Amino acid sequence: MLFNTIDFAIFMPIIFLLYWFVFNKNIKIQNLFLLVASYFFYACWDWRFLGLIFLSSLVDYSVGRLLAKTKAKSKRNLLLITSLMVNLGILGFFKYYNFFLESFQEVFLLFGRSLESSTLDILLPVGISFYTFQTLSYTIDVYRERIEPTNNMLSFFAFVSFFPQLVAGPIERASNLLPQFERKRTFDYTKSVDGLRLILLGLFKKMVIADSCALAVNDIFTHYTEYSGSTLFFGAFFFAFQIYGDFSGYSDIAIGSARLLGFDLMQNFNAPYLSRNLGEFWRRWHISLSTWFRDYVYIPLGGNQVSRPKWIRNIFVVFLLSGFWHGANWTFIIWGLIHALFFLPLMFQKTHASFKDVADKGKWFPSFKTTLQIGFTFFIVLLAWVFFRAENITHAFLYLQGMFNFSLFSFPTVSRGLVLFLMVYMVFEWLQRDKKHVLEIDFIASKPIRIAIYYGLAFAIFYFAGDTQPFIYFQF
Amino acid sequence: MKKLLTHISLFLIPIVVVWMLAEVFYRSVPNNYTYKHEQISNNMDDIEVLVLGDSHTFFGINPEWLSLKTYNLSNVSQTIYFDKLLFEKHIDHLPHLKYLIISVEYTTLSQADNTQEDIWRKYFYEAQMDLKVPLITWYDPKKYSLALTRKFDKTFKTFLDYQREGSLIGCDEKGWGNTYLSTVDSLEMAYLSKVVARKHEDGSMDFKKNTERIQNMISFCEQKNIQVLLVNMPVYPDYLDHLNPEKLLKIDETCDDLAKTNPNVTRVDLSRDSRFQLLDFHDADHLNAQGAKKCSLLIDAYLHAY
Repeated sequence: MLFNTIDFAIFMPIIFLLYWFVFNKNIKIQNLFLLVASYFFYACWDWRFLGLIFLSSLVDYSVGRLLAKTKAKSKRNLLLITSLMVNLGILGFFKYYNFFLESFQEVFLLFGRSLESSTLDILLPVGISFYTFQTLSYTIDVYRERIEPTNNMLSFFAFVSFFPQLVAGPIERASNLLPQFERKRTFDYTKSVDGLRLILLGLFKKMVIADSCALAVNDIFTHYTEYSGSTLFFGAFFFAFQIYGDFSGYSDIAIGSARLLGFDLMQNFNAPYLSRNLGEFWRRWHISLSTWFRDYVYIPLGGNQVSRPKWIRNIFVVFLLSGFWHGANWTFIIWGLIHALFFLPLMFQKTHASFKDVADKGKWFPSFKTTLQIGFTFFIVLLAWVFFRAENITHAFLYLQGMFNFSLFSFPTVSRGLVLFLMVYMVFEWLQRDKKHVLEIDFIASKPIRIAIYYGLAFAIFYFAGDTQPFIYFQF
Repeated sequence: MKKLLTHISLFLIPIVVVWMLAEVFYRSVPNNYTYKHEQISNNMDDIEVLVLGDSHTFFGINPEWLSLKTYNLSNVSQTIYFDKLLFEKHIDHLPHLKYLIISVEYTTLSQADNTQEDIWRKYFYEAQMDLKVPLITWYDPKKYSLALTRKFDKTFKTFLDYQREGSLIGCDEKGWGNTYLSTVDSLEMAYLSKVVARKHEDGSMDFKKNTERIQNMISFCEQKNIQVLLVNMPVYPDYLDHLNPEKLLKIDETCDDLAKTNPNVTRVDLSRDSRFQLLDFHDADHLNAQGAKKCSLLIDAYLHAY
């Protein structure tokens, strides 16, 4: 079930009403209802893969309980390894089996040997990378004794499969979300209104921004040999907005839906294209994944509290893994590599952690310096997106080759209206940069104006939406 | 909670009203689907030739120029999937049917059942042509509301068309699409050929399912002593040049195989017929009224040659 379909528009209100009016007496029944609703939500794609979520939940719940009962280091290590092997084993098989096999075959061919083995026709279970990381974070935190293992099986299963964020995040931490399943939720009007705003904004980002860009992107990336450098540049530019609208739109709807049910999910995007360097970009883009890698990979490897060569290694490991997490394709690894390479100079200059404040706070317009910083950062991100979108590495290099020639300065054959629309949207992001989201408009005192804005967005969703496209991040 | 529900309800009122108006519009204004259903239902006893297919036959075969009583049941973007459903629905009620014309175009054999572009049409077939469409599940909300099947901008544009033209019916009483009257110059045709060929490329060479559907219809016709004409409609040469030659060859072979293995099938390949010139085309792959006349007369000759 997609968030941008009639099915979800019917599903969500039914869940909302049953949740608050029928199952609100007892927290156990409410959690059981959420679990059933989440499994139903997932089964709408493919009920066969429900078994994987169930298995993952069962293994990590059991490992958590066993970790609570033992203090012996060796046993604890064994339990952690069991969880890692089951979860990463499932993920590895479904997502990476064919990739590794094909890569091995290519390596063998380089040495003049052929590896006799055929790839499998494996269907990738939707959201497997998201819920696997979520459930793993629980086990690792229990192992590290950062959180207490839960003895409430129902809460844990509902936490792993919570439908708003089950298939494309945000990848929640047990320390934030699990306790919310274990205490009574109360209806909060302000929170619910903000949830509805987020759903509206998310639908706008997905159906108007992302889906409109998708049409141009699909055409330009497929027929890139026929277009000028400037058009290819705008192809990448549109893809930057397609993936942003697609993924952050999904996250907004997820956070908004959860809020309607009384849950608070973590923020996943925070105006990433207004970042002044790559360090800031990674604190604003897919925040739940980047903090996951920070907490469970980067810091355990020593973070920046090690020698410089090891620090560099840690940076590369995190970015390459981040790329690999997105998919079994070398293009994602190169995407991660580009980010790592451009991150290194910031690290040497010790500016990677700067810009934690709001850019040009209190000013209507960005300063010249800020504009340059934002523009340069966006340009690097845009170049890396070419690899992310391309079918393979050769395609990406040919695309870039087509982009960087004299035709880059020719007049592009793209929709000027779409470019203008995206620029206008970015102006709103700039004006709302100190808020949690663009539609946080409580400061507008006039109620009719606020309602007019909501209707304006609703109209845009109904009228200007592009052809329905699947969410890009579902494939991860 | 009460406050929230009240506010949501008030906010949704205009949206629900627009939705209801759109529903009334689709349900009450006749269109090609309702009109074709009405016409074929009223003329069952007379029909001797039935034409199936997509926009190529819809605009390209005018029953007026055929000497036998013909009904053109083809429609824009009508796939073999729906050709077969329509065929199965009507075949037992057409006592005088002698010929069935099935159109095989570049996309016919490879197209999927649920193409995104025209996904809304299946609901119209079910609701307005009284077809039971297995692709639609009982729990699909769009089964119950035609207004939900199309994007609002498309509905609004259709409404404006209705306001301007006074009708949504784009065919005559014999089912021929009578709105393509004009032509384009060679320069625009060259451009259109490229664009349309690109649009028609679905990347699939899997013909199995759709070939089976055609074979089923042919076999059923054989039992009923009905002759089948497999027609490849005329297209502008530039358009053909932009298509995948490998796929074209496979289509050719598939059609030949069907004609060779079934005694009641004749293949009529007009796709490269040089008698069709620029002035016969409305665009790269559709005939205009003049071209439709030429094509219909040729098909009539083939029918008489049986």
